[in-house]
Amino acid sequence: MLHIVDDEEVIRDSLTWLARSRDIAATAYPGGKAFLNSLQEHVSFSAEGDCLLLDVRMPDLSGSALFDELGLRGLITRMPVIFLTGHGDVPMAVDTLKRGAFDFFEKPFNDNKLMDRVLEALAASREANVAAAVQQRLTGLSLREREVLALILAGNMNKVIADKLGISMRTVEVHRAHIFDKMNVKTAVELARLLK
Amino acid sequence: MRPVNKNQGHRFYAQQLSYTGRMGLESHNTEGSQGQAARKPRWRLVFPFLQFLPFLPALLALLIVISLAWLPWKAQRLESAERQEQLIADTLWVEQGVRLQLAQDEEWLRQVAAEIATGRLVPIDLQKRAAQWLVTRREVVRLRWLDANGRVLAATDTSVPASAVLSEASLVAADRVRRTGRASYAPPARQSGRQSPMQIDYHLPLLQSGHYHGSLVATYATAAILEQMVPWWFAQDNEITLTCADDSIIERRAAGGPGRGVYTHVHALDLPGANLTLRTNSLKTLPNLLPNLLVGAVIALTLGLLASLLALWRDINRRLQVESALRQQVSFRTAMENSLVTGLRARDIAGRVTYVNPAFCKMVGTEAVDLVGRMPPMPYWVPEAMADYQKRFAEVLAGTITPQGFETVFQRAGGARFPVLIFESPLLDATGRQTGWMGSILDISDSKRIEDLNRQQQEKLESSARLASMGEIASTLAHELNQPLAAISSYTTGALNLLNGCARTGSTPDPAGLRLALERASIQAQRAGQIIRSVHAFVKQHEASRAPVSVRTLIDGIVPLVELQAHKSFVVLRVDIAPGLPSVLADRVLIEQVLLNLTRNAIESMEDIAPQQRILQITASRNGGDGGVRIAVIDHGHGIAAPIAERLFSPFFSTKAEGMGMGLNICRTAIEFHGGQLVYSENPAGGTIFEFALPPVAAVVAGASATAASEAGKPAIVVAPAPAPAPAVSANNRHT
Repeated sequence: MLHIVDDEEVIRDSLTWLARSRDIAATAYPGGKAFLNSLQEHVSFSAEGDCLLLDVRMPDLSGSALFDELGLRGLITRMPVIFLTGHGDVPMAVDTLKRGAFDFFEKPFNDNKLMDRVLEALAASREANVAAAVQQRLTGLSLREREVLALILAGNMNKVIADKLGISMRTVEVHRAHIFDKMNVKTAVELARLLK
Repeated sequence: MRPVNKNQGHRFYAQQLSYTGRMGLESHNTEGSQGQAARKPRWRLVFPFLQFLPFLPALLALLIVISLAWLPWKAQRLESAERQEQLIADTLWVEQGVRLQLAQDEEWLRQVAAEIATGRLVPIDLQKRAAQWLVTRREVVRLRWLDANGRVLAATDTSVPASAVLSEASLVAADRVRRTGRASYAPPARQSGRQSPMQIDYHLPLLQSGHYHGSLVATYATAAILEQMVPWWFAQDNEITLTCADDSIIERRAAGGPGRGVYTHVHALDLPGANLTLRTNSLKTLPNLLPNLLVGAVIALTLGLLASLLALWRDINRRLQVESALRQQVSFRTAMENSLVTGLRARDIAGRVTYVNPAFCKMVGTEAVDLVGRMPPMPYWVPEAMADYQKRFAEVLAGTITPQGFETVFQRAGGARFPVLIFESPLLDATGRQTGWMGSILDISDSKRIEDLNRQQQEKLESSARLASMGEIASTLAHELNQPLAAISSYTTGALNLLNGCARTGSTPDPAGLRLALERASIQAQRAGQIIRSVHAFVKQHEASRAPVSVRTLIDGIVPLVELQAHKSFVVLRVDIAPGLPSVLADRVLIEQVLLNLTRNAIESMEDIAPQQRILQITASRNGGDGGVRIAVIDHGHGIAAPIAERLFSPFFSTKAEGMGMGLNICRTAIEFHGGQLVYSENPAGGTIFEFALPPVAAVVAGASATAASEAGKPAIVVAPAPAPAPAVSANNRHT
């Protein structure tokens, strides 16, 4: 989902149209506050990823301030921000880039290049979403299960694991089954790929 | 106070003396190099007693007072002694007189006695002769001839009985005469009774062959003696008294009153047989201490002299005080003049320099001796401002100058020029008569420099402000145009994306979606157009501010500003406005900006050439074509090279480091806005000429358009209309 935040209605409309022409779902917000309000209601991440197109100059809440707010909430990895800058705003945009913005485009921009970067941002967002999900699954493991997981990822057989932990083989197998179940994988190879 | 070199100081001092007379002599000595010993005058060492010189007047005054007291006293004494001597002499003279007369009587009697002795004279004859004699001798009362027995033989006076012929004292005398045979006087006695007058008898014995046989007795009245024998003038002044040996008064004569007893003299009247004394007592009193007018006058004069001496002394004291105060004033003034950084210069009525102070000498780098006494032209006058000076000088002489300063340029001895501010005021002598002019000259290089610096900073500030506002406007304009352009770009790109996608998949594009995008793109394109149009409209608003204005008003409005700059660069400004020019329809602010811009360029172009050639001309003349006015700004500067001339009016082209390249461009636009052309040509005398024409009021009203600006066929560079400049933005811009 592409989130367009711009005070100019014409820009919101034309960018929405442009995104649709590239098969990107887009939502427009007239300002930073409107966008924050929508986040308040539900922080839901779309499966195709999320990206924020942010105008630097806005009357109610500037793009830079909104970006700082998102940074505080730890959202900028899962919701990459691309800045749109006007004349003379380049230094500020560079500064935000250093602080973790995905990219910035100076108006007037090449529209399709912008859309290409939007697509890349969406992909990054999806990856970040996956990583976030894995992380969440890992937090569901118990202490013993994490020890076992570490030994599995090290490539140890169940027997060796049982020896090392001083538990029975059977217990190892039960842990292993739980881990696979919680991590939503079926094989050790799959698990290793997930946690790479 | 700045250090003044010694020579200069002395020279200046000599100068100073001519103003203050000898007042400065004392301080001049102390200034000399003779040292402390010289301070005590040499004559005091040689004549030490002269140090009492100041007390001499007092001493003299004391002497005069003493002599004033002593002299009358002495004079009185002298006069008193003189009077006494006079009295003595007079008394002696009187005594002599009395004696002489008595002696004459005695002599006559002796002749008579001799005749009697011869027997030729009988008593009758004697009586006759005696009567005759008595007429002449009034002091003699009577004459009698007595025989040896004392009988009267003959007498001039028969009234007295013969028995009582002689008094007691006379009888004694007669007896003595008889015995001795010598003539003798009898002591004075009264004839008979107390009331009768005192008389003296003179007994002359008649001897015949040694035998006494009678006497001649002459009787004198003592009163008559004093009456007849003492001169009247003596009697008038003195009381004369005859006394006996026992001091009893016999007779007194006091014609002028009783004697005062001051001057008296006593002298014995030696008569044989009678011991008489003559006493004189003067009527005169002691002489007065101030006996006469002369002495009084002398005293009065002396007192007057003393008074005038006192007055003189006080006057001298006062003068000394004044002199000291004056000297103090002079040294105070001198210090003041020397400490001044303001130059002072005095001129007499003819304009000759009579005085300059060290600051002025330092200012113009010329010694005072080279300036004092000079007539114009002065060495510190600069050739190009000579007309200025002469005008000013004439004003000064005419007395029409104003108290506020006059700004001009002087040069130092080396030729370096510096701006000065001159204030003149009349120089009056002690009687209030004007003897010349005193001018104070301020070197205003520093203040000028500060002023220039301030102005330059101000200009830089304005320039950057203009830049900022230009940038802001440009940025606003860019932003305004960016939005529709970005939107158009997005709509069209999106539409293309759709078409490309359809081409890839072979499906048919959605016409409704495409139309929507294209319609919206079209709206945005119109919006961009509106923005551009609004800028045009903004520019056009200025047309409304054009109004009829006279050329003189236009040019006079900028002359002070131009002069300010011209003065700074020592450029002479000449304004030449032809008479009878019509009013023009113009935006005064714009045209003034154009003129300021052109004159500024002109002044800057002349900064490197000789000062004499730095002449900036502004001329206004009638334009042959439409009867409008042609205004030219002519300089004699370095001119404009051909390659630069070609690009002269291009925007963003400048030959100046700080220039934005907008000045001439804006000038051109402004002139075109007025329907004229800004034309550049080379000045045949060197430098450049920028010319433009302004239409007369009537022509513009008649609808003469401003569009036909660019026409070919001009020898000079003719400027094409600018694409779309905004005069409102750059009206203040003076940079090229």
